[in-house]
Amino acid sequence: MSIVLVGINHKTAPVEVRELLAFSDQACTEGLPRLVDGEVVREGLIVSTCNRVEILSAITTEQIDSGTQRLAEFLDTTPNLPHGFLTDHLYSHRDEEAIRHIFRVASSLDSMVVGEPQVLGQVRHAYSLAVEAGTAGRVLNRLVHHTFHVAKRVRSETGIASSAVSISYMAVELGKKIFDSLKGRVVLLIGAGEMAELSARHLVNAGATRVVIANRTPEAAQRLAQEFDGVAVPFEQLSQSLAEADVVICSTGAPDYVLTEEIMRSAKEQKRNRPTCVIDISVPRNVDPAVGKVPNVFVFDIDDLESVISSNIREREREAERAELIVQSEVMQFQQSLRAMDIGPTIGALRQKLQQVARLEMERQRKRLGSLTAEQEAAIEALLLSTVNKISHPVLNQMRRSYELSDSETVQALRDIFGLEE
Amino acid sequence: MKSLLVGAVAAYLIAAIHSILAFVNKRAALQRVAEWSLAAGFVVHTITLIEDWTLDGHYPLFNLKETLSFLAWALVAVYGLVLYKYRAQAIGVFMMPLISVLTCVALVIQTEPNDAPTAFSSTWLFPIHTTLLIFAYAAFFVVFMASVMYLLQERELKLKTFSAIFHRLPSLATVNELATTAAALGLTLLTLGIASGMLWSSARDGRIWHNDPKEIFAVLTWLLYLLLIVYRSTAGWRGRRAAWIGVAGFGLVLCTFFGARLLGGYHVFG
Repeated sequence: MSIVLVGINHKTAPVEVRELLAFSDQACTEGLPRLVDGEVVREGLIVSTCNRVEILSAITTEQIDSGTQRLAEFLDTTPNLPHGFLTDHLYSHRDEEAIRHIFRVASSLDSMVVGEPQVLGQVRHAYSLAVEAGTAGRVLNRLVHHTFHVAKRVRSETGIASSAVSISYMAVELGKKIFDSLKGRVVLLIGAGEMAELSARHLVNAGATRVVIANRTPEAAQRLAQEFDGVAVPFEQLSQSLAEADVVICSTGAPDYVLTEEIMRSAKEQKRNRPTCVIDISVPRNVDPAVGKVPNVFVFDIDDLESVISSNIREREREAERAELIVQSEVMQFQQSLRAMDIGPTIGALRQKLQQVARLEMERQRKRLGSLTAEQEAAIEALLLSTVNKISHPVLNQMRRSYELSDSETVQALRDIFGLEE
Repeated sequence: MKSLLVGAVAAYLIAAIHSILAFVNKRAALQRVAEWSLAAGFVVHTITLIEDWTLDGHYPLFNLKETLSFLAWALVAVYGLVLYKYRAQAIGVFMMPLISVLTCVALVIQTEPNDAPTAFSSTWLFPIHTTLLIFAYAAFFVVFMASVMYLLQERELKLKTFSAIFHRLPSLATVNELATTAAALGLTLLTLGIASGMLWSSARDGRIWHNDPKEIFAVLTWLLYLLLIVYRSTAGWRGRRAAWIGVAGFGLVLCTFFGARLLGGYHVFG
């Protein structure tokens, strides 16, 4: 059995192509049984996300070419697409390459934003659809579970997803660096822009308990307050709100500084010098850079955030190199376990070995038998071979059964007993 | 007993190397190796100390060799607490090599046989005095480490340029709390240590104060850490300034520890 992967991704096809090809859940469960015929294509699953459509399948090794062809045609005959439309965008990987590819995809090494966490869930979903459709068999089950294992290793052993790469998430990262945990922290939004809202959403998800909104137009403040179960305060009470806030996100459309050093200092006095993280995502800036001079106040404007993000991206890339090493070693491990899994060669080798023994013995004793007719000779050979076959039959059956039950220990034990190497 | 100490040194070295690798590569598995190795070293080290005590007949904290070994042991114990309470592994990157060096030196240096320790061991106040102070030093070392980490990160946050080390250190809140707790613990131990020393001294020759350099430095250290604690509790969080006091305080601790040997005075024995 060979593993083959055929598909397109954001590197080989523009979004116009990808969106035409995308498979809905229903299309997956309906399409898979058509694709998997049990003869050539033995198992299959479809990963369909906004950045990729890929078919992962197990194909009978002898018919790997026609099988691969079949996968490509399956994608090409998707109703939305003109025929032959995909040829330039499709890639196909076999065995080692295919295994590496799916490992990299699930570990988010092949993603547009390296380290993004969604793709693993999408692979998991694709697998559950294949299970539902009954097209995930022994090979894919093993491959997919190993894929999850690799993705988990990459996530826990490298820092590939440890640093923020979006402006809205930076607030969480900086907050954690300063406060350790955002649990129980108070967020103050100055201005009710979309970006501020997104940042606040991340902060609340990370544990922030209270959101206070100060906005020039009370309606927008009210709306956000309702959304976050927080409070809207008049813009004039900025100083008081500032005193209780831990994280401040500033995004008003004001043409000059809204938050000055003076306001900050007076707020700090009430705050007994507890730290404050101020994030200014407005252009032109709304927070006077001098605010950063106040002790225990950390101010970041949009340029600061951008530069931290680009350094975080470089950090992710460095971590991705380490992740590739993990993937490489896991590919080798999986291939080994796959070889151990494939029972056909073992059975063939065992049968041959035993027949060889019979033929050798026959040769050795042949002289003593004197002259024999061709018929007699054939009878002796048949006798020997059928004895060997009769004796080995239950052994081979047991081996097949153990294999079906994925009992690799017994298979290995039988191999050892008969002295079969790889 | 020497071979046992070699075992402890080996375990500490393994722990030091693994914790540095874990820090650089952010590998949890390496950190686990470091921690188990450290724990094993600690057990062996403890056995060594107990054995020294029973074989030599005096509390194993008198001459320089013993002091270094005991100090390393105390640092391991304190680091264990820090790990347990704050999971601040980053401290180990600096602490474990120091522990290894201290035990290595303790292993290598020779001390002449001396009758003095046995005489001092006759009273239980003396070992209590020295033990309390060794643990106070260990606690102040943690304050120092946490303060340095605070200052490094505070600086990077203010300058908005984050180096590789920034992603590997514990958060500001964590190091701040660690420094505060360790300072409070260290000050308590120092107070008790000085008090027990005074009691011992008055029982010995009727005087509680000898104006010797070690005593003067100890009192200065005590005042500085008292200032730090008072400052923190009345003025609330005062990250940067408190951190600088934590660094300066450790300078005084070093003076107290080594000063007596260089300047002479009452606290030089044997």
